[in-house]
Amino acid sequence: MNAAVSTGGRRGLWLFFGLLVVFLYAPIVILIVFSFNDRSFVSFPWEGFTLRWYRQFLQNSSLLSALRTSAFVAVVTAGATVALAIPAAIVLVRRRFFAKGLVSGLLLAPLVIPLVVFGISLLILFNTLGIPLSPLTIVVGHVVIALPFAVLTLVPRLERIPVWLEEASRDLGANAVTTFRWITLPLLAPAVVSSFLISFVISFDEIVIASFIAGDEPTFPLYLFSQLRLPRQLPQVIAVAVVVMIVSAVVVIASEVGRRMADRRLERQIAAVERVGVE
Amino acid sequence: MDPAIDAAASGEARRARSRRRLATLGLASAPVGYLALFFLIPVLMVAAYSVGMLTLLPQDDYLSLQPWRDLLFGSIYLDVFWRSVWMALVVSVVSVVLAYPVAYFLALVAGLRKYTLLLVIIAPFLTSYLLRVLALRVILQEDGVVNSFLRTVGILGPDEAVGWLFNSRFAVYLVLAYVWVPFVALPIFVSLESLDHALLEASNDLGASRWRTFWTITFPLSLPGVIAAFIFVFIPTIGEYVTPLLVGGPGNFMFGNAIQGAFLQGLDWQFGSAMSMFLVFAVVVLIVLFGRYLNVRTVTE
Repeated sequence: MNAAVSTGGRRGLWLFFGLLVVFLYAPIVILIVFSFNDRSFVSFPWEGFTLRWYRQFLQNSSLLSALRTSAFVAVVTAGATVALAIPAAIVLVRRRFFAKGLVSGLLLAPLVIPLVVFGISLLILFNTLGIPLSPLTIVVGHVVIALPFAVLTLVPRLERIPVWLEEASRDLGANAVTTFRWITLPLLAPAVVSSFLISFVISFDEIVIASFIAGDEPTFPLYLFSQLRLPRQLPQVIAVAVVVMIVSAVVVIASEVGRRMADRRLERQIAAVERVGVE
Repeated sequence: MDPAIDAAASGEARRARSRRRLATLGLASAPVGYLALFFLIPVLMVAAYSVGMLTLLPQDDYLSLQPWRDLLFGSIYLDVFWRSVWMALVVSVVSVVLAYPVAYFLALVAGLRKYTLLLVIIAPFLTSYLLRVLALRVILQEDGVVNSFLRTVGILGPDEAVGWLFNSRFAVYLVLAYVWVPFVALPIFVSLESLDHALLEASNDLGASRWRTFWTITFPLSLPGVIAAFIFVFIPTIGEYVTPLLVGGPGNFMFGNAIQGAFLQGLDWQFGSAMSMFLVFAVVVLIVLFGRYLNVRTVTE
């Protein structure tokens, strides 16, 4: 007898799970279906299949330039975030020092700051310093909120890399930089890729901070937001939303699956090396 | 041993230690410095702004507690704050109630498929937040998918719409629960998965019903996950502003909308700063009270 659930309970839970999946996916499916409806409003009745909205968005220059701005902001954000997250993860995993609790608290604090508050904080900062708002000021904010996610992606992987690999490299005469370049970084690479992609997706989707410090080049979420008041634009906004949503889902899921596979491979390799060591 | 060699070795070790300490400092300085400059200092500037130690607009008062007095004594914004607290509470409870059975199912019933099924639940959370809110807006709004469907089949007249579906409290709850459920399932799943099955079997062998086993063993042991999930939804929801703006209408604006309005429309930055710091204090109080349950690792792994 299963102590966790009865047969009836098992069926009930399967049903509940199924219903929740429907609840989570139905709006996305509806959005995708209606992006092909040949009608100027995103609504019933169904008036036939069309690719018109997709063609229109490919010709909409302000939409495309918003996408370009977002892509630029997200790439720079992801690069800078990873560059800051790698030393942060090394310090958290490999070093012991007196202010460690404080440092890890600071690194994770952006997870709980209300984004509205952080947005106005940056608005006040840039105004005080007299820095004009631009895509780069958005990058400054996005790096802060992406950093904890990047660090939390790197830390578990770094913990799985045995310290003795790095120690062996040092004993054989390599300095810290060489050891990092040839031992740690290659083993950390899958998590580096994941944290880059996660930072990219966070930045690409972010609207609250961007709405305060965007200047006059809107990012894609800001553009989308501004178009919601114009019903005529809605079908092509929906079409591009579908494309963006699917691309970001594929990227994130692929990186997640890739990370899991790389973790398993690492464990197998370490186990093999340790077996040889014992013999 | 030759004392000279001993001394040389310990000197070498000391130098290595201090080199290592220097390297730690160097590694930590970049991320810590960045966050100090672009996270801590800006938030402190908001605190300074709220009491007029820093002014940028001509209408700002130098060194004044007036914004705080306005906020704390009889302003409608305090009501908006408490309304947001209530709404965040409802959203957190609904999300947990929806996610708990699914996490239970995945951790204790689904068997080998659990990680795949978990990914099915979490995947929507990994796509765009804004686009999912947009999808629901398109479905719920006056000429949206639901209303136009009901008109097409004749349940509603040509210009009728279901009132509570859009620009309503219900819509805000629905959208926020929709957004958070996948995320909430995760920490609950992790706490249930680490549960020792022997405990459940022991309880069963001793004659407890499944229901009793659940309430006396399973649920209490999963509480850390539940509380973590609850806090992780509650905190961002109090300061929410996109969802109320897109599907709630002015009558259901939350504290985030009030702050945003003070900055981008009302141009009362001092009052907006006071509201912001008030929100930050509220979050800090929550973290102090419940911080020990917030094992952030459970959320990312």
